[in-house]
Amino acid sequence: MNSLNGNMQSMEMSAYHSAQRAGNLHKLAAVARIKWLCISRNAMIMIGPVLVIGMVYVCKILYGINSGGTLVPFMRGVLLNIGITMNICAEGFIMVGTSIAEEKESHTLRVLMTSSITGIQYFIGSILFPFMMLMAVNYFVLFISGIPMDIVPWGSFFFVSMVVSLTSCVLGMIVGICAKNQMNANLISYPFLMVFMMVPVFGNMSEGLHRISGFLFTGVMTGMTECLAGGEKYVMSSLDIAVLFGELLISILVFLVLYKRNGYEKD
Amino acid sequence: MEQNVLLSLSHISKRFKTEQALKDINMTLHQGEILGFLGPSGAGKTTTIKIITGQLRQTSGEARLLGTDSSNIDASIYEKIGVVSDNSGIYKKMTVWQNLYVFAGIWQVSRERVEQVLAQVGLAEHRKKPAGKLSKGQTQRLVLARAVLHKPRVLFLDEPTSGLDPSTAVAIHRMLLELKEEGMAIFLTTHNMEEAAKLCDKVALLHDGEIVEFGSPQEICLKHNRNKKYSVLLEGHRELELDQNPENVRKIAGWMERDEIMRIHSCEPTLETVFLEVTGKELNV
Ligand SMILES: Nc1ncnc2c1ncn2[C@@H]1O[C@H](COP(=O)(O)OP(=O)(O)OP(=O)(O)O)[C@@H](O)[C@H]1O
Ligand SMILES: [Mg+2]
Repeated sequence: MNSLNGNMQSMEMSAYHSAQRAGNLHKLAAVARIKWLCISRNAMIMIGPVLVIGMVYVCKILYGINSGGTLVPFMRGVLLNIGITMNICAEGFIMVGTSIAEEKESHTLRVLMTSSITGIQYFIGSILFPFMMLMAVNYFVLFISGIPMDIVPWGSFFFVSMVVSLTSCVLGMIVGICAKNQMNANLISYPFLMVFMMVPVFGNMSEGLHRISGFLFTGVMTGMTECLAGGEKYVMSSLDIAVLFGELLISILVFLVLYKRNGYEKD
Repeated sequence: MEQNVLLSLSHISKRFKTEQALKDINMTLHQGEILGFLGPSGAGKTTTIKIITGQLRQTSGEARLLGTDSSNIDASIYEKIGVVSDNSGIYKKMTVWQNLYVFAGIWQVSRERVEQVLAQVGLAEHRKKPAGKLSKGQTQRLVLARAVLHKPRVLFLDEPTSGLDPSTAVAIHRMLLELKEEGMAIFLTTHNMEEAAKLCDKVALLHDGEIVEFGSPQEICLKHNRNKKYSVLLEGHRELELDQNPENVRKIAGWMERDEIMRIHSCEPTLETVFLEVTGKELNV
């Protein structure tokens, strides 16, 4: 009898929780919609992916003309690296960071927080669209880079690309939490950009940089694309996995610490 | 506790680093009541609203909103209250309609309700306009529309009509009275004594973080009506101010009989004069 009651109760509880979760999904969707409307109307942000894809495409054609139609693998690797790191860094930090800063500037973040949106809903809602955008552009750059598709390890590419994009979005949330306005957000992004974009891109030019690059999440990504560009088979090392998850975890922790202190906005 | 108490503050105080912003605030708000928080700049009005709505933590005391202690408010309370702060923002690049519709998504409010509110604030014909292009009064109405979209039980308004022209202010007053009729409790702050006298069932005069007077506007004014006076305008444009005493009463009666009075009224204090009196005294202490 008792256990029956217990069961009934737990059934009710789970019904209650799933109803609650459904409600939360509505809120998540609402935040995502708001972010989509804001970001897609912000020319400063939307120019980014277009620029990345355009640049890779134009470089490919220009270099192709000089070298009689085909790219040397080294060039292909550089192109792919630049495209992907630029996408991940410039787009990730800036898209997420600026859009939060924009909401602070226009005092709408406070409105959201006093309209029953929780911190976690705002977090997920904010990175949903930028995350998908990052993933999409990663694939796009891969397709137009001229790498033979049959050597691409699709599973690994998806996995690495996903973790890297996610990390970049979380870093963007950190930028957003620290920034007071959009200018400020750009300023805060630069140190991140310098490290996570420049080091892997110029990694092929110096042995020292190359070694450091291996310890950066963007470096893991470029490590993989360099392999592909050189026509080699890419095998994920345990160091790669540790770096990817380690940095994702660290950035989430840093975000949580900052969030616990003041919320998204200091009063 | 009384049945329809929606908000109660007891011994709320707030200390910022260097200054005591609120000292000992006590009050209650009932269903269907409009309560005005009056006070000069820096009195602590915004601070009070922020504490009640969980945006700021009090130093001591207790604020209970809809039965929950506001220091452990969670996000779900905002499904039942509406908040308009002194700088509530709008999404400037979205249209008027979108600005409401995205919040309808958060509160699971129907399209019809959005339409209804849009008409209520008189912005129906501007629905397709980017919200950034609205005038100040229109923006304020949009913010108000958003705050009442989910039919909150308590509405908090920080200076809802400051900087608006009289006709927009009147439109907003009308809307607030309608909402009150529907049973909503409204907590508003204002500098405008006339507005408070017209609109509020209860007012609290706040001065230097303390409530120096609390009650209905009428009660407060009558309470301070200590020495009654009459102002009389006689033929020949002689204007007199007379105290209430037997001699003056006889005088006035005489003028009235001879039909010499062009205008006469009693000089009971307005909320404004009471306020100046009360806060002036406080300053002299
Ligand atoms: N975050 C803060 N840090 C330090 N002091 C603050 C803070 N917020 C408010 N104060 C101080 O507390 C006092 C009350 O401020 P509050 O904003 O509540 O006034 P107010 O009554 O809303 O004034 P106004 O009519 O100008 O809006 C002021 O002296 C203000 O300087
Ligand atoms: Mg204020």
